[in-house]
Amino acid sequence: MAGWKKLAKSDLPAFLAELASQAELVVPQEKNGKTRFLPLDSARPISFPSSLVDVSLKSVFFPKRRPVARFGEKGDSPSEQRIECAAVQSPFSPRIVMGAHPCDVSAVNYVDRVFVHSAFKDPLYEAERNRTTIIGMACSEMKPECHCTDRDLSPDNERGMDAVFVEAGDGYLFRAVTDKGAAVLKSGLLKETSDEPAKRDWPRGKYPVSPESIVQSPSSSEADPFWQEVADLCLTCGACTFACPTCTCFLVSDERHDGAGERVTAWDSCQFSGYSRMSGGHNPRKTKSARVRNRMLDKFVYTVEKYGATSCVGCGRCAIICPVGRHFPREIAALSRGLSPLSSEENGDCTRSKRGLPPLSSDENGGCTRSPRTR
Amino acid sequence: MVLELVPRPAGLKQIIDESVDVKSFVFEFTDGSKLNSLPGQFVEVSMPGVGESTFAVSRLEDGCRRFHVSVKRMGHVTKALHRSAVGETIFVRGPYGKPFPVADWKGRDILIVGGGIGLAPLRPVVDHILANRRDYGKLDILFGARTPGDMIFRTDLEAWGKNPGIKLVKTIDVECVDWDGCVGLLPNVVKQQVYKPDGRIAVVCGPPVMIRFTMAALKELGWPDQQVYTTLEMKMQCGIGQCGRCNIGGKYVCKDGPVFRLDQITPNVI
Repeated sequence: MAGWKKLAKSDLPAFLAELASQAELVVPQEKNGKTRFLPLDSARPISFPSSLVDVSLKSVFFPKRRPVARFGEKGDSPSEQRIECAAVQSPFSPRIVMGAHPCDVSAVNYVDRVFVHSAFKDPLYEAERNRTTIIGMACSEMKPECHCTDRDLSPDNERGMDAVFVEAGDGYLFRAVTDKGAAVLKSGLLKETSDEPAKRDWPRGKYPVSPESIVQSPSSSEADPFWQEVADLCLTCGACTFACPTCTCFLVSDERHDGAGERVTAWDSCQFSGYSRMSGGHNPRKTKSARVRNRMLDKFVYTVEKYGATSCVGCGRCAIICPVGRHFPREIAALSRGLSPLSSEENGDCTRSKRGLPPLSSDENGGCTRSPRTR
Repeated sequence: MVLELVPRPAGLKQIIDESVDVKSFVFEFTDGSKLNSLPGQFVEVSMPGVGESTFAVSRLEDGCRRFHVSVKRMGHVTKALHRSAVGETIFVRGPYGKPFPVADWKGRDILIVGGGIGLAPLRPVVDHILANRRDYGKLDILFGARTPGDMIFRTDLEAWGKNPGIKLVKTIDVECVDWDGCVGLLPNVVKQQVYKPDGRIAVVCGPPVMIRFTMAALKELGWPDQQVYTTLEMKMQCGIGQCGRCNIGGKYVCKDGPVFRLDQITPNVI
């Protein structure tokens, strides 16, 4: 692996300008009060968040609305009308995404399993992936809801990145991870250095989960009151699914305007009551509790069966965005331990006795009663 | 690289009135290509501007150049299809899904149990057996519909009834005049007929509630799960295991099914 190179903070604008001259450059920027990945706009100030961009990276590769075909009618008289579908071409110009954190990059890697490593590849998605070089950014802190360390990741994990950079004192340290990454780090502004990012011991144990223990947990069964407790809080607004960097469920919809129109894929949510409802009215997941259960088990159990991997990267966006204070990471950690979904350090009911289960030893109880920070 | 979600134009060659609210639509792809579908597979049929729906292929003809889908009038796509006319261009993609493993059933007796429109995905199985008659043992077909007017595939039912190699039983839910078949719900008729497992394969499809109770009836008659197949209905859109909505646990009905052997699905599913 290539060594580290240093960029002086004062040289950052010039470096970004160089990158932008090579390719479309996408970096986190603030718009409408939230940081998100947008094409570089000189009118907006650039700041690379030390951790977690508010809106996930997924829309860069899988936009929330995506035309896949166009149809129109040919011929003048109605009897000659013909409708034609034509695939939408995807752009192939090179693009650089800079400043994506390990959770987001790892999430995109997961989404590849759905759209690329599949019997039916999605060529639009694959083209977006192939044209993009990712210069990831190692986090320099963990925010309150961050728990990537409990999801087989860490704030300095380089998995899926082509290159990585990290803030270090008066500059940034860059390193290529792949050949594609090395190709975008050839700038003279990057100076050889013997500096290396400081190794850090990141805390873990906030919301630990084991898929095996979820499967074995008696609470996993459909009839368990766990799901009703969760459902009682939930609005099924779908915000957690849209905020989630690995949720990619979509609907296929025809949008018609005066005979012509587009067939689009649009983000959908498994939390919506109509999501699995059939035209005859039969709905295999008609209750809220069935839908919240399906999603929670999907993230940690079903996706393992489908794609050989869990699909939570520990970004915590679901907990941050929930308008009614549902806390998915805490709920899933509680499920994994056979606790009530509302168990938390705040309300102090993190005991198994509430559910008629024997108390855990203090060791096993770890992250549930105390946050790792305070230990 | 083709985007799988983009359908291909197909000419609507024939429309067959099957029952009060079911029509079969017979298609040929405009470019003359074949639909290489196996019994139990399905297609996505599009009315651009209206939408797309999932239908089992209910018959293949002319070396797979012609194919039928049998459509019950239910939602907006099916209503639009029912309004369409011979000569129109409709859009189709597929086939998708895992078919019935008919090759594995060679030498065995087969029991087909269809409820209403659920007979549609099973008809290609019957067609396959009849086309390869010597490869299979006895063929029993049990078909149930709510009323005589809901009986689909009448021409086939008549031909099957006359075929000495087939034991056909027809049933309706409630007694009515001029009906010479059985009366009763399918699961009850399954028990009345005392279909024995004896190494036989059962293939069941119908409304979810019919599947559930028919499975229970077969279990009561001693059928092991390994001899019972079904094809499941689920809301589908992409048909290729990506849009997410048709999962049952860690399996997608569109990709890992729709055909399942009973021991391959968790007991609480049906």
